[in-house]
Amino acid sequence: MPAGSAVAPDFLLPLWRAVVVFRPAAWAVAVGSFVRSWDRYPDHGIAILLLILMGAWTAVVTVAYSTPAGRRSRMAGYDLLVTVAFVAATLLTQPWAELNGSAPILTSLWATGPIFALAVERGRDGGLIGAVVISGVLIAVRQRLGDQEVFNTTLHLLAGVTLGYAATTTRRATAVLREALAAEGATAERERLSRSIHDGVLQVLAIVRRRGTEIGGPAAELSALAAEQEVALRNLMTSRPTSAGGQTDLGATLRLRATSTIEVSTPAGPLMMDRRTVEDIGAAVGEALTNVAEHAGPAARAWVAAEDLGDRVLVSVRDDGPGIPAGRLAAARATGHLGVAQSIRGRITDLGGTVELRTALGEGTEWELTVPKARP
Amino acid sequence: MGADRAEGSTVTRVMVVDDHPMWRESVARDLAARGYEVVGTAADASAAVRIAAAVRPDVVVMDLQLGTTSGVAATREIVAAAPDTRVLVLSASAEQADVLDAVKNGASGYLVKSASLAELDDAVRRTADGDAVFSAGLAGLLLGEYRRLQDAPDGAPGLTERETEVLRLVSRGLSARQIATRLTLSHRTVENHVQNTLRKLQLHNRVELTRYAIEHGITDDPA
Repeated sequence: MPAGSAVAPDFLLPLWRAVVVFRPAAWAVAVGSFVRSWDRYPDHGIAILLLILMGAWTAVVTVAYSTPAGRRSRMAGYDLLVTVAFVAATLLTQPWAELNGSAPILTSLWATGPIFALAVERGRDGGLIGAVVISGVLIAVRQRLGDQEVFNTTLHLLAGVTLGYAATTTRRATAVLREALAAEGATAERERLSRSIHDGVLQVLAIVRRRGTEIGGPAAELSALAAEQEVALRNLMTSRPTSAGGQTDLGATLRLRATSTIEVSTPAGPLMMDRRTVEDIGAAVGEALTNVAEHAGPAARAWVAAEDLGDRVLVSVRDDGPGIPAGRLAAARATGHLGVAQSIRGRITDLGGTVELRTALGEGTEWELTVPKARP
Repeated sequence: MGADRAEGSTVTRVMVVDDHPMWRESVARDLAARGYEVVGTAADASAAVRIAAAVRPDVVVMDLQLGTTSGVAATREIVAAAPDTRVLVLSASAEQADVLDAVKNGASGYLVKSASLAELDDAVRRTADGDAVFSAGLAGLLLGEYRRLQDAPDGAPGLTERETEVLRLVSRGLSARQIATRLTLSHRTVENHVQNTLRKLQLHNRVELTRYAIEHGITDDPA
């Protein structure tokens, strides 16, 4: 098992507990029914001795079924043999004639214990074998096959097979879970390895980028390619799925937008918000960045920053392009040419937030979005 | 400042720590070509701590993933042993949590490996001068960390309104000079604010480490 992986719980345990509880209870029922039918037993001494021995055996199997080692020791098979012997020994206390009639049998409900133990230990086949053997012995002892016997046998078969199926299914589920946990451990290990490999690749890309620029000429193209791949790989490494219960990490969502010219600045931990709000903010930031690409020129750099203000988030998109001269902004607003601004404003106002645009000639453009975490 | 130091008393002494030999040599060569004295190189955390103690560099250029060892631990030990030595993190993968950890443990700046040689030169010079070398990304991490500490029980440091304002502008990619203009402060004042945000966090981290050590009966430095 790989280090660090969790141990799968044994889902069979509750079934074993039921078996463990059933046996002493059934023994108490046997004792009770003996006392009630006191008059119908010709030899009380042997009956009491048998009940004591049954109690002792109950103690043995209870302890065995309660411990992992005992459960692994195939105790249910011996339990079946011993119980059959007890049922047969009933003949010592009650004459054939009595048993053939309506007399209660000394072992009573207690005799069905091995059916359940076998079912939990060996599954459907165990339950079936246990039910057939116990029912067979009971019929043999009574030497008759009346309605009562048919009814009891049906009940034994039904209980044994059903419990056996449940045990088999549970065992399979446990095995599947165990495999899943092992796979999870392996994945974590693989991720750790891939991080260190990626780090090496990033190193090489950084070297290519560095040397390429220095050498110049065609090598500069290589350098530019290396730079792009470097950013792509770094994003792949740092962005993880961080959604839970309708909430998404705004930081991770924005970090996906980083390129060689766009730097994204967020808190280290997750910045969880409603998924739809994150999508809307992401779309607004996307529009602002598209605007940068269209108007600020190819050399412009951009910064996206997200800050947690407790009940609100502060998201900004800034570029170092030429900016918009004051007069032109007003003119654009007057002629309705401020499509992007309107669209961003619309999205953010719908979220109950505010938008500020700061721009001047030579100062680039800076969007500041303040958005409440709670949906309006 | 930077220029004074280079022309005046001594040349800045630099050490390069990186597990990748080609990168290590390349950075060392570049820095030497730019007039720095490369006094040592190391490939893993323990060698870095040992060599730094012996050669006492002004600036350590530190990678965070040193094979199986951690640059964060090396940073903490180097700064603890020689507070005059400054550590500039130069990392390839820039895992957010790692970078924040390194800075909390005493690194005074952080640069991605994709930075140009000019940027690296500038960063090493400023680190030697005692300035904090901040990328926009690091400012975001710090703002986030202070926000987290706000909800911490007690004794955690906070930012003044001005410091928050300055960090916020750094996180938007503004240079110290641009921030100074916008807030009508001196360039030096902006630098001081940035440095303070870093120092408070490092001090808090040291206090936390000490408290942890005392609570767990660790008397010696976990070296």
